[in-house]
Amino acid sequence: MNDAPLVLCADDDPDILALLTLRLERAGYKVAQATDGEKALELARELKPAAIVLDVMMPRLTGTEVLAALRADEATKDIRVILISARAQDVDVERGLAAGADAYLAKPFQAPELTELVARMVSGG
Amino acid sequence: MTSTSVSEPLFGRPRLALPSRASVTYLAAGGAAIGIYFLLLLLPSGAGDAQDVWYCVIGASSVTAIFVAARRMEHARLAWNLFGIAISTSVIADGISGFYEMHLDKEPPVPSLTDGFYLVSYPFIFYGIYLLLRDFGPVRSRAAILDALIVAVAAGTVQWIFLVDPYLHTGDKVATRATEIAYPTFDLLMFVALAQIVLSFGGRVVSYELLVLSALLWVIGDEFFYLSVDNYHAGGWVDFFWLASYVGWGAAALDPSAGRETVRDRREVPRLTNARLALLGGALLTVPAVILVEHFWHGHTVHPKSVAIGAAVLSILVVVRFAGLVRAVEGARAAERSANARLRELDRLKDEFVSTVSHELRTPLTSISGYVELARELAVPEARGYLEIVERNADRLLSLVNDLLFVARIQSGGVELDKGDVDATTLVAECVTSARPHAAANNVSLQFKGGGSGTAVYGDMRRLGQVFDNLISNAIKFSPEGGEVDITVSSQNGLVCVRVEDRGIGISAAERSRLFERFFRSADALDRQIPGTGLGLYISKAIVEAHGGEITATSTEGEGSSFVVELPVRS
Repeated sequence: MNDAPLVLCADDDPDILALLTLRLERAGYKVAQATDGEKALELARELKPAAIVLDVMMPRLTGTEVLAALRADEATKDIRVILISARAQDVDVERGLAAGADAYLAKPFQAPELTELVARMVSGG
Repeated sequence: MTSTSVSEPLFGRPRLALPSRASVTYLAAGGAAIGIYFLLLLLPSGAGDAQDVWYCVIGASSVTAIFVAARRMEHARLAWNLFGIAISTSVIADGISGFYEMHLDKEPPVPSLTDGFYLVSYPFIFYGIYLLLRDFGPVRSRAAILDALIVAVAAGTVQWIFLVDPYLHTGDKVATRATEIAYPTFDLLMFVALAQIVLSFGGRVVSYELLVLSALLWVIGDEFFYLSVDNYHAGGWVDFFWLASYVGWGAAALDPSAGRETVRDRREVPRLTNARLALLGGALLTVPAVILVEHFWHGHTVHPKSVAIGAAVLSILVVVRFAGLVRAVEGARAAERSANARLRELDRLKDEFVSTVSHELRTPLTSISGYVELARELAVPEARGYLEIVERNADRLLSLVNDLLFVARIQSGGVELDKGDVDATTLVAECVTSARPHAAANNVSLQFKGGGSGTAVYGDMRRLGQVFDNLISNAIKFSPEGGEVDITVSSQNGLVCVRVEDRGIGISAAERSRLFERFFRSADALDRQIPGTGLGLYISKAIVEAHGGEITATSTEGEGSSFVVELPVRS
C-alpha cells in the first residue's frame, strides 16, 4: 500500500473532493487533498504527486492558473494533470488542453471514467 | 363643443383634417360673394359704387366671423381678437378708399387716412402671430431657427430689390416714400412670420393652414399691387387676392381647431416636411431668379450689391445648416455604434450567465450522481433498484441542462462545430449499436443498412451523433410493442442521406409543421406520457442546418413516420 501512487485532488466543493478521494482510494491510490488553487500548487511542489485531478473553477488560483504555474516550474512541469470542470463546452475543453492539461474530464463524471483516466496518467500512457 | 366634437380614432393615423362645416359653409358663401363682386362689372353703369360697397360687405362679414368665433374659443382668444381688429382697420381703410372713389372719383393720396388704417392693421396681425407662436413654446432647435433665417433672408433680398429700393429714389416727398416703403417692409415681416408658423407646428392644424393661406393671399395681392400700381383700378383682378384673404381669415377663425392647443414640432432636427422643403428650396432659388429677372427686364443686373450680399448671407446660413445636419447624422451614427457595443456586451453577459448557470447546475448533479453511483454499489439488492431510479433521473436532469444550454447557444447565434472527417455509415452504425439496449427494453427491433463507401461528410462527429441518437431514440419511443425501426444510410447527388423510419402512429399534418419548433410536443406524446422536453428535434435541426444540411419529416397517420437528414457529401 505504501507503494501506491500519490494523486493530488483539488476541488473547492467538499462533497466532490470527498467523492474523488473515495473513488481513487478505492481504486488503490494514495490521495492528497486541496480545497483551493494556492493549496494545490503548494502541495504539488511539496509532494510531487504522480497525477493531479484539478478543478478549473477554484478560489484564489483557478485550475488553469495552477496548471500554468506547474508547467512553468522545472520541478513540476512533468506532473500529469487532469482538469475537471462543470463547464464542459467544447471551447472549455479546448482551452484546458491548450493550457497544457493532459486530459479533461467533464462533471458530472462516472466512476470508471475517472479511475481509467487516472490509471492511464499514472502509468504514463 | 362637447356634443359635436369630432371623435378621434383610437388607433392608426389620425384622419386627414378637413375644415369644419361652419368653416366650409363660410368659405362657400364667401366664394359666391367674390363671384358676385366680379359679376357686378357687367352692370352697365355705377358698377364701381356697387363693387365698393360689396367689397366692404365681404370684409365686414369676415370681421364678424372672426369676432363671433373668438368668443367661443378656449385658447388663443386674444390672438384671434387681434386678427379681428386688424381686418377691421383694413376694412375701414377699404371704406375710406371706396368713399374717395365714389364721391371724389379719385384714388386717395399717399399718405392719407387710408394708409394709416391699412398700416395699423399689420402690428395687430404681428402681435397675434407672435401670441400663437409663443403658445407653441420657445424654439430651441437651431435648425428651425436657421430655416426661418434662410427664408427671411431670401424673401428680404427679393423684397428689397423689387419693392423697397425702387421707391427710395422716386423723388417724391419723404412721407410718401416712407409710406410706400412701409407696405413691402410689413409684407416681408408678415411673410417671415407665416414661414415661422408653417415651420413650427408638428401636426396638421386646419385653422392655421387657412390662416397662413389667407395672409399669404394678402401679401400676394399687395405684391401684385406694388408691381402694377400705376395700372391698378378698383374692381381689377388684384382685388381677388384681398377678398379671398378676408374670406379665408374668417373661415380660419370659424374652424374649431383655431381655439385648441397646438403641438410644436420639438425635434432637434425638424422633420423635413414638403412645406419645409418647398420653403427652403424656394428660398435658395431666389438669388438666381432675381439675376435672371433683372437680366431679362433691364439687360443687366441692376442690384449687384444686394444680390451679392443676399447670396453671401444665404450661403453662410446654408453651410451652417448643412454642418448641423451632418453633425446630427454623425452623432446618430456614434449613438448607434455605442448601442451596438452595448448589445454585444449584453450578449457576452448572457453567454456568461448561461455558462455560469450551467456550471452551478452541474456541480450539485456531480455530487448526486457520484454518491448515488457509490451507494448503489454498496447497497443491498432491494435498495439498488431505488438508487438506479435516482441515477436515471439525475441523468435526465443532466441531459435537460445540456439541452437548455445548447438551445441558449443556438439562440445567441452560434452552434460551434468541431469539424472533421466523419463517415456517416460508421457513425450511424455506432448510434444504432448504443441504442439497442433501449430498443430491446421496449421490444423494438432496429434494422440498419449502411451506405457503403461515399458516405463521408465533413462535420462535428459528436453533434451529428447527437442528431442520430435523438432520431433513433424518438423512433423507438413512438414505435408500438414489437415494432420495427429502419435506419438507412445512402448517398446520391452529392448528398449523404440518413433515414430513420418507424411504423408508429404517425404525425398529423398540422403537427408536422410545428415539429421542429422549440418545446413543441405532439398531442400523442403528451397523451401517452412519452418522456421528452420538446427540444430534441429543435436542436437536431439547428445542428443539421449548421452543417449546411436539411432535416425533413414525412408521415402517414397510422402507418408511421420517416425522418431524413441530408448532408453535403465530403468532396
